[in-house]
This record gives sequence, C-alpha cells and structure tokens, in this order.
Amino acid sequence: MTTSAETVIAPARTRTATATATATVRRNQGFQHGGWFVAPFLALFALFVVWPLLRGVYLSLTDANISGDGANFIGLDNYREALHDRAMWDALGHSAYFTLLVVPCITVLAFLLAMLAHHIERGKWLWRLCFFAPFLLPSTVAGNMWQWLFTQGIGLFNETFGLTTPWLTDKSYAMLAIVIETLWWTVGFSFLLYLAALQGIPDHLYEAAKLDGANAWHRTVHITLPMLRHITGLVIALQALASLQLFDQAVVMMDFGPGPELSTRSFVQYTLEQGFTSYRVGYASAMSVIFFVIIAAVALARMALLRNREEGTR
Amino acid sequence: MSTTQLRLKPLRTKPRKPWTPSQIVLTLLGIAVSALFVAPIAAALFTSLKSEAEAAEIPPHWLPEVWTAQAWKALWKTGNITNWFVNSLVVSILVTAIVVTVAALAGYGFARTEFKGKTVLMGMVMAGLMISPAVLGVPLFTTVQQMGMVDTYWGMILPQCAPAAMVYILYKFFQGIPRELEEAAFIDGAGRWRIFFTIVVPLSRPSLAAVGIFTFIASWNNFLWPYMVTNNPDLMTMPNGIATVMNSYGIQWAQLMAGGLMAGLPLIIVFVFFQRQIVAGVAHTGLAGQ
Amino acid sequence: MGRPDLNRRHLLATAGGLAVAGSLAFAALGTGADALASGADTRVRYWNLFSGGDGANMIAMLDAFRKEHPGIDVKDSTLQWGNPFYTKLAMAAAGNHAPELGVMHMGRVAGFSPGRLLDPWDEDLLAKYGVRKADYNPALWNRGVIDGKLYALPLDVHVQLCFYRKDVLKKADLLGDDGRMIQVTSTDDWFDVLKKAKTVQKKGLQTIGLWTNDQNFQWWFFVAFYTQLGGTWFDDGDTEVLFDVDKATQVLEFFRKHVTDGYVIPGAPTGEQFINGAPFTWEGNWSVPVFSGAKLDYGATPLPPVFGKQATHAESHSFVLPHQAGRGGATNETAHELAAYVVTHAVQWAAGGHIPAYTPTLSTAAYKKLTPQNEYVSAMYHQATEPKVWFAGSTGVLAQDLGPLVVSSTMGSAKPAAVARTMKNHLTRLLASKNPMDGRTAAQGGAAA
Repeated sequence: MTTSAETVIAPARTRTATATATATVRRNQGFQHGGWFVAPFLALFALFVVWPLLRGVYLSLTDANISGDGANFIGLDNYREALHDRAMWDALGHSAYFTLLVVPCITVLAFLLAMLAHHIERGKWLWRLCFFAPFLLPSTVAGNMWQWLFTQGIGLFNETFGLTTPWLTDKSYAMLAIVIETLWWTVGFSFLLYLAALQGIPDHLYEAAKLDGANAWHRTVHITLPMLRHITGLVIALQALASLQLFDQAVVMMDFGPGPELSTRSFVQYTLEQGFTSYRVGYASAMSVIFFVIIAAVALARMALLRNREEGTR
Repeated sequence: MSTTQLRLKPLRTKPRKPWTPSQIVLTLLGIAVSALFVAPIAAALFTSLKSEAEAAEIPPHWLPEVWTAQAWKALWKTGNITNWFVNSLVVSILVTAIVVTVAALAGYGFARTEFKGKTVLMGMVMAGLMISPAVLGVPLFTTVQQMGMVDTYWGMILPQCAPAAMVYILYKFFQGIPRELEEAAFIDGAGRWRIFFTIVVPLSRPSLAAVGIFTFIASWNNFLWPYMVTNNPDLMTMPNGIATVMNSYGIQWAQLMAGGLMAGLPLIIVFVFFQRQIVAGVAHTGLAGQ
Repeated sequence: MGRPDLNRRHLLATAGGLAVAGSLAFAALGTGADALASGADTRVRYWNLFSGGDGANMIAMLDAFRKEHPGIDVKDSTLQWGNPFYTKLAMAAAGNHAPELGVMHMGRVAGFSPGRLLDPWDEDLLAKYGVRKADYNPALWNRGVIDGKLYALPLDVHVQLCFYRKDVLKKADLLGDDGRMIQVTSTDDWFDVLKKAKTVQKKGLQTIGLWTNDQNFQWWFFVAFYTQLGGTWFDDGDTEVLFDVDKATQVLEFFRKHVTDGYVIPGAPTGEQFINGAPFTWEGNWSVPVFSGAKLDYGATPLPPVFGKQATHAESHSFVLPHQAGRGGATNETAHELAAYVVTHAVQWAAGGHIPAYTPTLSTAAYKKLTPQNEYVSAMYHQATEPKVWFAGSTGVLAQDLGPLVVSSTMGSAKPAAVARTMKNHLTRLLASKNPMDGRTAAQGGAAA
C-alpha cells in the first residue's frame, strides 16, 4: 500500500483514499454489517438445515415414534439393526441401480441433443422448447403421464411400438420404465447446460482446425469433447446426486407402492415408510443419517476429483 | 431472371443460409426427436379431451373419436384443483420472494463483508448443499412438527427458504463485481446498505432474475416436502394434490391428464414467452456449480 | 426509448409486489380457499379412502345428508387408498390437524394407537342419533372396543369373492340347476372347472384373474386359503409362532399352479379381462358395481372351499375420530351425527357390494333383493381374518412384509417351500418386534385388542 515518490499526485491520493476507505469499511462496520447481511439466511439455515441434522443424529439414537413423545435412548441399536436389514440394503441397491442406469444415459443423450440443437441453423428456439419442456412439468404429472402410457392394455407406449411388455407389473421391467420416464423428464436440464457450454467454445478454435484440414468428426473429438470436460463432470455429479434421491416418479408410477416384488422401492421411499408408515421415527432417522453420509461421500469424491484435475492441468 | 432477383433481394430481412444436405438431414432428425419429446404431452392433451370410457379403451388410440371437454369441466366443478392452483401460487411466490431476498443479502455478506467466523460459516453453507428433504426428511418433519407448523402454509414455505445453492451462486456473482464501484460510492458517503440497494442490486438484476426463476420452477414443481408436511387437502399444492388426492370416482385418466396439464402448462407457456431469460437462468444456476 | 421500458419495469415491480403481498395475506389466514368460502354454521371435515363405485355411493349418501342438514358443511376428501391414507391420517392426528371424522379398516385400529391418535366414540351421543350396540353382531362391535372404549364404529364387512361369467360357464356346463356355479370341494375339482372353462372361453383372454402381481390381493387370498386349511398364526399369548410351513407351502403351490398351467396372464388387468369375457376373476366385493354397471351376466360366491372348509378373507370399514386436542362441542357432535347417518342408511352402501354392519339393514326387503349380494352374504359367517396384533390390518406391516413374498412365489421368482419358510422367519421377527407407538411387543399387549 505504499505509494512511490514518483507517482503523480492526483492518482496517488485517490488510491490512498480508496485504500483507507476499504480499511475503514472493514474495521468499523465490518462485523456489524456483515453479520446483519447474512443473519436472515443463517437463521433459516440453522432452523431448517443444521437443527434437523443434529436432531436426526439424536433421534437416531432413540426409539422415538411419530407422536413426538416418550422416546428412550437406545444407543446404537438402530444402526446395528440397519446393518442387518436386508430390505434397507435392497432399497439402497435399487437407488444405486437406478443411478447407474440413468447417469450415463442422460449424459450421452443430453450431449447428443445439445449437438443437434447447436448445429441445426434454423428454429433453434423450437428445439430448445421441445427438449426442455418436459423438465418444466411437476414430477408427479410426468409420472402420471408415463404410468398411463405404460399401463398394459390401455397405454399408448406398447400400442405405438407394437409391444406387449408388462412395464409396470413385472420386476424385470419396472425400474426400466422409471428410467425411461426419468430420461424424458430430466434430460432437458443437462441439455441446456451442454448447449450453453457449446455456445461458449470460441469459434476461432474450429476455424483453425478447419484450416488444418480436420473434418467434422475430428473437430468434435479433438476440440468439442475436451472443451466440454468440465461440464460433463458437472452433469454427471448433479445427476448422480439427484438420482440417488429417487422418490417422486417411482412412487407415482407405482401407485405409492414398492413396485412388483419390491423392485422399485428406493432408499428414500423405504426411509419414509419406516418413519411415516411404521411410525419408527428413530429408526428412520438412523437411515437418514446413513443416507447423508452416502450423499456426502459422493459429493466429496467429486470435489477431490475436481481438485486433482485442476492440479493436473496446471 | 436477373431483374426479378434484384427486385426480390431487398425484401428479405436477413440472408438465409443455404439448405445444405447436412442441414436437411439434421433438421429432419431434429423434427423426429422433437416429436418423440412432445408426444407424451400431446397424448395427455388428446386424452384429456376424450370421454372417460374412451380414455380407458382397449386398444387405445391417439386422437379422440368424440372430442369433449367433460374432463376439464368436471375438474372445475369439483373445485379442488382451483384450490390447489391458488395454494401453489401462494407458496411459490412467497418462497421465491424470500429466497431471492435472503440469498442476495447473504451472498453479498459473504462476498464483501468481514465478520467473525465467516470461513467456518461459508464451509457450513457448502456442506448444506448436500442436504435436501429427501436426505433428511424424517428429522426435518419432526422439527417442523415441534414448531406446530404441520399443515400450514409456513410449514410448506419456510423449509424451502434456506437454499445454500442460491447463496453460493450469488456469492460467486458478487465477488465478480468490481470493488471500485462500491468504494467510489463509499467515498460519497453511502453506507453499506445503500451501496447494496442502489449499486449492487441493479447491477446484478440478471443474476437475481436467474435465481428467482429457478427457485420459482423448483418450488412450483416441488412434491416431496409438501407431500410430507401437508395432510389437509385444502392446503395442498398442485403436484401434491394431483398425486395423493384422487377424485372420488376412481382413476379417471381423462381428468388426471387434464389436471396434470393444468399444473404443468403454466410454466411451459411462460417458458415460450421468456425463453431467453429462463434458459439463461437455468444454465447460469447450473453452471455456477462448476 | 427508456421511458416505456421504465414503465414496464414499474408495472412489473408493482405486479410482483402485489402478488407477494396477496400471497402473504393468504398465507397469514392459513386455511385454504375452500374453508374461507364456507359460510356454514358447522364445518365437518371427513377423510375417507373410497374411490370407484364406493366413492360414488359415499358421495350420494353425503349429498342426502347435506340435503337434510343445510346448516352443516361436510367437506369430504378422498385420499389415495392404502398407506398414503394411513400415513396422512396418523400425521394429521400427531400434528393436531386431524379432521373431525375419518374412515379406517378395523384391522388397523389396534396398531393405530387408540387414545393417542384416535379419540373414543361417545356411545350416548351415537344412541341419540340411532346407533346402539344391540344393532350389531357383537363380535364385530367388539373388534372396535379397546380398553373398554369404542374406537371404531363398523360400517360394513367386505370380503374376497370368486366372480364368474354365467354366459361362459353355461357353455362349459358348469352351472347348477339354480343358475349358480357348481360346488367345488377340492383343488382337483377346481382345476377341472378351470380346464373346462378354458375350452369355451374367448381366445386371447386369461381364464382367471388372480392379481398375481398385487401384494395386497395375493396376501388376502393367502389368508383365506391358509385359514381353509385350518392354519393358525400365533398362540393365545402371542408369544410363539404357530405358523405351519407345510400348509403355507400347499397354498402357495396352489396359487403357482394357476400360472404354470396357463390359466393366468400375469400383469393383465383383471377387471378389463373379466368384462371382455374371461370366465373367472377373484376380486373384492367392491367390484360388484363395476361389473353390474357393465351389464354382465355374472355371479359371485365366496372363494371356493378347495381345502374342504369355507373361509374367505374379510375386513371392515369403520368410522373413527382422529385425535384432536380440543375435541368436543358442535363439530364433534356433528361428526357423531354424520357417522350414525351413514351407518343407518347403508342400503346405498350395500349396492357397492359391501355387507352392511348395521344388522337392521340386512333384513330390509331392499337389501334382500340385491344380486349377487344375496349369493355371498353367507361369507359373513366364514371370515378369515389376520391375527389380532398391532402389526396386522389392511396394508399394515404384516401385509407389507408377507405380501411381496406370496407374489414372488406365485410369479415363480422363488420356490413355494422356501417362501413359506421365509414367511415363518418374518413372523418370528415381527412377533418379537415392539410397537413403535408404545414400545411393547404383541405378547406384552402392544395396544392389542
């Protein structure tokens, strides 16, 4: 912050003044003002995020029920039970299976749709509208639509494609039906992210490649894909976190049941069943905590990967 | 020939790109894929214009043989759906207003002011990104139950109003505003709050709009939390009411589709008119996670 | 150029501000538009789970009540049947936002924490509106009594039935002289009947609808046939599992044979198949109005006694008073009045296939004329019910736990004998588990009947 003697006076004065002003802001009004700016958010955050998290940890150590009174401390019994609860592991397996199916499909599909919309020169707004519109529907509405399309006999899906597949009533198809619905419903979001990223790639890169004689395929592989690496990581991460939390569309398409032979019961659904159907709030809280750990692990894994990559590129 | 061309040319507002073979193929492909995407919505629309008997016919067909608005009329008559529409509006508008206000203030606070424990709190906010009603549903419900807010508007609204993600997005944005602008105003004697409202807010209108749009869409479509916290059908929002309260005559597909369209179409129509802003908003909020 | 833009912005800002203010005001009132619009003296909220024909009948009865009582506003809400309904009712009661009146399956009452989530009926008030214990089958009435207090007022008995198409069976010579299906007393008889029916039925349809994919129906059918074999669940003190694996295996193999012998198309919608000409379907009696409405020539008997003894699965709908901290006064009395009205005007309800619980209804000429109700009214005396423990009852923990197992056997994803053993393991675990509402096991009388 020292001003060199050679500096012309006027700018120097301004700069010093600015520096002093910043310092004053920091020193005098810093805590007070900063605190008030973030206070409303922190209050809501404390009440509806931090407190429920702490409460969840506490409840998970009790045998609390839905009525909210008469809970006893039972130590780690809930966690012990959860470890041996086949149904819980099955439910986790269903959520994981769904995620493994949806994430790669959505990523590839979103990329292809974005490439298509980006390269067609006419009616860009129309493609954007068509691919993105399903995302604007509530999950339950999209679920109802596809439940009806998939219903045997009266549904248009089998009718249109000449099939007789028991989509919603056979355990080997039920999850696939949910995956198809999910692709249709949510691909629009990732599509938009890819489209925005495609538009952000500078034209001169392509021009240069063209001059070097690279064809369209080469340009895609050697320019587009590398330039989209970051966005692909983002799409995969966002989609994985969302897919692990599968609930809405699955319960709507299965009439709020667990699907044929329990085949579509997700982790979230099983947790809510324990809490709100079996009234076991303590046990359900333990499962919530377990789920939080899983989600946090996935998120942290992604952050670690990002950091590694940044260090790698540097 | 040449004279006609000459005369025609000025009439064109902008030069058309030629229909190269690759453009023709791509456009046709685009039309085909778009048709696949629009088909379910179109099917729902056609079904909502069938009679209930025709909607459940085996085998099914796309277009109604007899066009009728009975499903739409029945929806209005039973009244639930208008109730839910109002509830959805009330909840989404308030959530959006609160989130934009609270997140803007907090984002600015984190980006531009100093206070004790800022780093720790910022870390907590980042951790909060991982928490949703799907993850912590049961404890969140018991918390709200303790506050006596089950089956109230506030019970639906407030837990949706602490989105760490939106704070983070605006925090990133505010960091990008040149400090010089604020400092100049400070020299003129403006306080922090005045600087925030007269300089920062007008500068960040697009970002605030993006956050607002995204929040409104998310809140309008939110199912899980309203589903957990409302039992009284009078208070339900559209997505929740349609899924959990059936009309008393059993599944009537025509009515169900009409109700679904009523819940879904407002956003799609808004999208048609504000496409640029919404696309920017969604892309902006999504990309901020990079 | 800047001016119109500014105006537009002002307009938008004003509109936005008004929208927020309006929403705020609305949320502050906190009751929902419908309650605001209601100008009646007494408003009774009534939650039920009746859809389809039942829903239509219930609404007709409510409309009749409304006509006779113009000062009372009945706000009925139909929620999705099954667990969403019980979840919402429990949460509303726990959160003290319960409706004045609700409907429940009798089997669920024991596990629904009477006294905490349910309030008892005032029998004097009920008597004032014409409903007395003497008007009921004592056993049925007592299912709703817990710790000496009445918590559930029975509305009906509903049973699982074997529906058959008279027009199809006639061609296969399977109708007796009375025009009803011939008697079947063994599994061999039964498959013989199916075989004959299959030869005359329309092509492309299934012979019988068994709800092979539905965990609820499969469970109800299992309870029926397991009871026919004389199978039991627990000892009297609810301390020991008496579940008979061999008998259970026999039942499961019986179900599975329908699939392996090709009488069932798994996943086909059963009701539509029957209406289109499938000779048989096993359904709840609530399908009566659907099939009558389709003008079919059909009959309905209790599930065939293929293991020698009559028994068919039965449950009851009953009225309950969900817990309200401040229950009492005019709204509470109106809830009693409304429930009593529906119970005593149940001929309309019987049209939905249910057997009315209020016995004076059964002896009315109007009821005796109803077909096929008069063909299966005897089912009332051969009820197969779930054990009386806290985890039982319609879509309760027991059904949710064991139902999918029955389905897995019927669908062929697991062997019947193995499934029967798993069922016994689950029953052992459930018997040892504590009712989360009071922390007691079934043996300790965990809110048992």
